[in-house]
This record gives sequence, C-alpha cells and structure tokens, in this order.
Amino acid sequence: MEFCVAAGPEDTRERITGMNDIAQAIRQDQHGSGKYLAFWLGKEEFAVPVGRIREIIPWQEITPVPQAAAYVLGVINLRGKVVPVMDLRLRLSMPGQERGVRACIVVMQPDSKKSQSPIGVVVDGVSEVLQIQPSELEDTASLSNGWMQLGYVNQIAKSKGKVKLLLEIDSVLAGPAEEIAKATELELAGAAIG
Amino acid sequence: MQREAQLLRLLDAVLGSVFSTRVCEDAAAEEHRRQGLVQQLQQAADCARELALAGTTESAMQLVALLEPGEAGEELQPRLEQQAEQLQALAEQELEARMMASAPPASATPGMPWGDFVLEAREHLANIESELLRLENKPDDSESVHALFRSFHTIKGLAAIAGTETAREVAHQTENLLDEVRSGTRAVSSGLIDLALASADFLLEVVSAAEQLDRGEEAEIPEDAGVLLDKLYAAIACPATVESDAPSEEGASVAAVQRSGAPSVRRMTGSAVKVDTAKLDQLVDLVGELVIAQSLVQLDPALVRLGDSKTAKNLNQLGRITTELQKTAMSLRVVPVGQSFQRMARVFRDLVLESGKQATLETAGEDAELDRTIVEQLADPLMHMVRNAVDHGLEKPADREKAGKPATGCIRLSATHQSGHVVIEVSDDGRGLDQDRILRKAIERGLVKEQVQLTEAETLDLIFEPGFSTSEQVTAISGRGVGMDVVKREIEKLRGRVEVRSQPGKGTTFLMRVPLTLAIIDALVVRHANNRFILPLFTVREILKPGGQTINTVEGRNEVALLRDRVVPVIRMEALLGDSVLSIKDGQPRPTEEMVLVVVEAGSRRVALAVDEVVGKQEVVIKSLGYWMGRVRGVAGGAILGDGSVGIILDLDGLMGKEGYGLAA
Repeated sequence: MEFCVAAGPEDTRERITGMNDIAQAIRQDQHGSGKYLAFWLGKEEFAVPVGRIREIIPWQEITPVPQAAAYVLGVINLRGKVVPVMDLRLRLSMPGQERGVRACIVVMQPDSKKSQSPIGVVVDGVSEVLQIQPSELEDTASLSNGWMQLGYVNQIAKSKGKVKLLLEIDSVLAGPAEEIAKATELELAGAAIG
Repeated sequence: MQREAQLLRLLDAVLGSVFSTRVCEDAAAEEHRRQGLVQQLQQAADCARELALAGTTESAMQLVALLEPGEAGEELQPRLEQQAEQLQALAEQELEARMMASAPPASATPGMPWGDFVLEAREHLANIESELLRLENKPDDSESVHALFRSFHTIKGLAAIAGTETAREVAHQTENLLDEVRSGTRAVSSGLIDLALASADFLLEVVSAAEQLDRGEEAEIPEDAGVLLDKLYAAIACPATVESDAPSEEGASVAAVQRSGAPSVRRMTGSAVKVDTAKLDQLVDLVGELVIAQSLVQLDPALVRLGDSKTAKNLNQLGRITTELQKTAMSLRVVPVGQSFQRMARVFRDLVLESGKQATLETAGEDAELDRTIVEQLADPLMHMVRNAVDHGLEKPADREKAGKPATGCIRLSATHQSGHVVIEVSDDGRGLDQDRILRKAIERGLVKEQVQLTEAETLDLIFEPGFSTSEQVTAISGRGVGMDVVKREIEKLRGRVEVRSQPGKGTTFLMRVPLTLAIIDALVVRHANNRFILPLFTVREILKPGGQTINTVEGRNEVALLRDRVVPVIRMEALLGDSVLSIKDGQPRPTEEMVLVVVEAGSRRVALAVDEVVGKQEVVIKSLGYWMGRVRGVAGGAILGDGSVGIILDLDGLMGKEGYGLAA
C-alpha cells in the first residue's frame, strides 16, 4: 500500500510535497490518464483520480444524522471540522456486507473546483495508487452496447491483468443538496415545457 | 493585466506616502515612512522593469527611468513630489496601451476574476464614505482630500481593469472634481459632498454586482448611472462651487450635522492584515481540537496514576496555554462595532437633510467588539432605529424651541459590554413616547383589550407588536410598512433582546442586547437511544422527571403532561426524528414515564420533549454540516463534544414550526 492509512500531520506533509504530482495528475485527468487511488467494495475494485482524494483515515465512530438521505451515514469530527460521511455501497445500490477490518474512510472533494468542504466515503479497504494510461481504458457504454445497466461506472481500466472500475465521480459525490437542486431544475424545465 | 494593475497600485501607494508626509512630525515615524517609501519605489521599479521586458512601450521605458532609486541618502521627497503626476500619467498610459494590445476589450465577461476588484474597491469605498463625512466637518482638511482623490483614482484603475466603462467614468469625473479641490480651485460644499457620496453609492452598486458575479451568481454590472454622470459633467463645467440640490431649508443646513465626541472614524492603520475567513474558521476548529486533545491527555488515567508532580505541573501549564490560545482564536472573529456606527453616520446625514430637522450624532463605545456576523446583521435594525429616532423621536426645530429645548436635537449611539453581551443604545432627546397614544392605538388595532391594566413598560413594549406604528403620517423615510416588530424579530434572531425606555418630553432610548458571538451557544446535551442531541439552552424552560400522574394519553396515541395546571403536549424524540432514534427497553419502546421531560419553547409553543437522559449543560461551538448535506429537517448543525465526537444540534423551531410535527417520518 503506497498510500499509508493514517491521519495527521504526516498526511498533510505528504499532500504538500506531492502537490505537483497531484496537480499534474488532475490536469492529465482530462485526457483520461493519470494517477488513481484504487479501493475495494466487496469483490469489486474501483478507482478514483487522486486529485479528488484529500486523505484516508481509519474507521471511526460516526454520529448519525436523523432525517438525512439514506446513503448518508452521518458526520465525523475531522480535526475540528464536521464532515459528512456516505456509504458508497448504498450509493451504488450494492448489497450490504459486514464491515471488515480494513474498512476506512476516504476523504474526497465533492467538486473539482474545491469550493465545497470535503466528504468522507466509506470503502472496504484501499489497495494502491496506480497510473492508468488512456490506452488501458474502455468505455462501458461502447463495451456493453447498452445492455449493462450501470449507475455510476462509466469506464473500465485494464491494469496489470486486473480490472478497475472508474466511477463517474461528479455524480457519485454529488450530495443531497446537489440532487435537490437538480431535481428542482428538472421540475422547472418540465413545467416550462408543459 | 495583473502586472499593470500591481504597478498602478504600487504607484498609488508611493504617492500616498509622498503626500501624507506632512502628518509625520515625529522623527522615528518619518524615518519609518521614508523606508517604506523606498521599498515601495523599489517594487514599483521592479514591476515597471518587468513590464518593459514583456513588451517595450514608450511609457514603460520612461517609468523605469523615473523609478530608478537614486543614490543612497538622496532626498526622495522633492523629486517624487515633482514627478508624481508624470508617474501616474505614465502608469495609466501604460495600462491603456496594454489593454488596447490585449484586445478584445476586457468587457464584463462571465468567469472574469472579480475577486480582487471587489476586495479592493470595497475597502476604498468604505474609506471614501468616512473621509467625505470628515471633510464635510472640516472642509480644509487637505489630507482627507488627498485620501479621497487617491481612493477614487484607485477605483478608476480597478474599474478600467475590470472593464466596466460607466464605473470608470464616474470615478474619473469624481476624481477630476476632487482634483480641483486639491489644487484649491474649488471649495468644498455640501453639494460637492452629496455628489461624491452619490458616486460612491453608484460604485458600491457596481461592486455588489461584481461580488455576486464573483460568487458565481447571476448579476449584471450596472452600466447606467442615470443622472449622476450628467450632474458630474455639469459640476465640472460650472467652476468654483457645486450647488446643493438637496431639498433642505436654510435652517437645516449641513452644519447641523456634526459629529461630536471623540473622532470615531479611525483611519486604517498599518498594523492589520487581511485574512480569509475560511482560514480563521480552520484555526478556530483546530484550536478546539487542541483543547479536546489537551483535556484527554491531562485526564489520562495512566498519567494521573503516575503521580509525578513535574508532569502534573507541565500539564497544567499546557492547559493554561491552550485555554489562552482558544480565547485568542475566538477573538479573531470579532470586529469593533464602530464600523456599524460609521455607516450610521452616513444614513443619519441623509435623514437629517431629508427631514428638515436639525440634529447631531454622538457616538460612544465604538471599540466594543462583536462577532462579525452579528455586526453585519445589526446594521438593518440599527438603521431602522436611527431612522425612527430622526423621524419620530425628534421634533421640528420650531417645536423644540417652543418646548424650551435647543433647536438642534441630539441622537446618541453607544455600545457597552455587559457580562457576555453587548448592549447597543440608540437614544434621542426628542418628545418621548406618548403612552396614552400607544395604548389607544393598540386598542384600535385590537392588540389589547379595552380597560386593560398595563404597567408603563408593558405599554411601551406594545410598539414591538406586529402591525404597530405610532407615526400619524407616513413618510418616505420610516413609513415603509416595517415597524419595530421587524427590529425585534431581527434582534431575536441574533438571540438578543430589545427594550425601550422613554420619558415624555425628554426622549426615548432603545436598548439592544446581543450576545458577543453566534458561534458559541450554551447548550443542553441530552441522550436518546444511542444519540446525543444538543438543545440550545435558551429554548429550554424546565427539566423534570414525570411523576406517576403527570402523563396522560390522548386517544391512546398522543400524550400530554399536566405541568402546574398547564397542559403541555409531550413529544418523544422518535416522533420528531423518525424510528432511527427509537428508544428501546426490553425489545419494546421505552415508556414515556421513565424518560426525562425537557420543556422547550419552540415554534411559539411550549412542548415537553421526552428523552432518555439529560447529559449536562455545556458551551458548544456551532458548526455547519456543510452545503453537501443539503437542508436536513430539524437539524441546525453539529458541535464537537468534550470527548471529540460530534453531537447534532436540533432545530426545534424547524421541527415544530409551521409545518407541525409528525410529518417527520
């Protein structure tokens, strides 16, 4: 595991010294290559651009928020900041499973502009940081010719003989606020047409 | 474009230093200023050199030559004074040349970085307002004129860079007017001040629009200055003075608007830094964490068992430092209330001119400090009170004289600290409130019954009732359908209180009592099932363990409690927040009789919340759950509790407000 699972100042330092790499990775993202963080959800391995990763923290007690959306597990205290945590499994409508010892919270940036505060995403374990070349990517749409009913996976990477699922990160990380905003927009558009 | 803007700014700073020379009498300050000047000059020269390298234009070359710092010890002052205008002209020329070169003209395109423009222009506009008011009282204050000239000048530059033509022109024409004042060919008149204030108002509109754009909101930069520009052109065309067109009687001359007491308008001092509020918040967050970590260490059983006196001493020292640090961190968010008063001075001036009355404004206690958000949200209620005082409180000069009072009335704004709160007073020496009339009106409006017996204070409090206004005529100033009830509501939103005192013939005083900060509340922490919830203590009326007879069921489903002859509905937490917080005992919902009732005032009713346990009272720092979560019904935010975990702050008003409870599930 190249990305050490630890919170605290070392992590911050790592982010600062690695800033150039990460910034470059974000730029390259637009062309579909760059660095990704891979993690497990059940038996599936997913990958998210490192530009969106703030840090990885060990599992901790989560305070539930009554009346929040179902995939919102609650909030945690991240160095004095209240940070919402979501269950990626529920978000992707995947079957539930006992939390294993390697489960951790990946703190991600919900928007690419970094204007929003970060959110925590519960995963079953992080595996590696890897480089994915554009040539290693396959579009799920063209691949399946439409028969795969996929919610949030838009690309699949073949890396060292294994398959990593690339999440459509913006929609996965869009929170309840964003969804409500979008729903209202659609409603308004519908009303305008009707 | 950034280099050019920076150069302009640096030159402004240089010239500012040059012209402020006459104020520095003390030798050390003078030396300090001189060094600063040399440094600024150096930077400006570097900047110009870079420009010259980037693309050689005539003006850039000349600038480099002019800015070259001379021999050490050379007297910079006279040289710069001579060259001041030449420098400025060159810098502008340079800027224009660049803008032409980088066509298309920088129009107000979306995505344009407005941030710098907004930040700087705002600061200058605030300066402009206070300097104009100062100038009005002291028309021969050349320093004010210089400061004003420079501020308008800078805004002109900023507007040009931002590409808003009208704003640039307005700033430019105002600057021209002020230039004539500066050179002594035009006298300061109230008309001139009015005009300059109007320019500042227009520019503020532009800045506000730009700010919205900067935040990514929809907005349009105003490009139509209305008659303002015509007035400016007319003023410049007409030499010597600017006629005042305010509808003021001779008696109510501008001279009546004086500010007495110590000069409250403080000039910007060099010892402050601008900090992003997000960074401040982060600092406060981290210090909060430090306090928790510190107490965890200090109370660690392993360390306590050690019983080492040196360790204990060191830990205590750590504790003291942490507490001190927390206090300091919290104090960073506060600002002096004086800036609010400063804004009132402007409102006051306009009001007095408009109303045909004569009055002076006195301010005191500007140094009292309050949380920034509170100061911001106080602005509207404060303005309303000042309006009221001028409009309803003060009599016309003739009436005042008849009553044996000086024709010029006095309105006083003051702020004082009182045990964790700040009390802001707005008082006038006018006619005072007429109790009989208030009562009559209240009866007329059906606010109270006839033959009601009210104390003096209760009668006066009637003016805070919705729909009450004692003014017999509606005026443009205060008769806008908003009454004192709005003021009361605004103050209560800040968890404050408002009171009124009045003596017939002597005057009226409004007291607004607000907390020092909104970020911290006294809270009651309760436990229900596995959740800890935080209730704001000010909503809690009483806490009790229900006895055998206290709780009665209604139709088998609902419960009410009989508390001192009053029927209060009992609401279990799960009824408000859903089954995820259901309290269970032996596989069954726990009976309400075994719970604790917390009687709260919420949504203008009194209800008894049934919870498993009251954990305790503590101060908590309110934290937002963030935009991402969206609005969660019944949740006001989160707070970090003493053990480092997060507690949910309940929004009882939201839970039990208009929509009623029970819709939760």
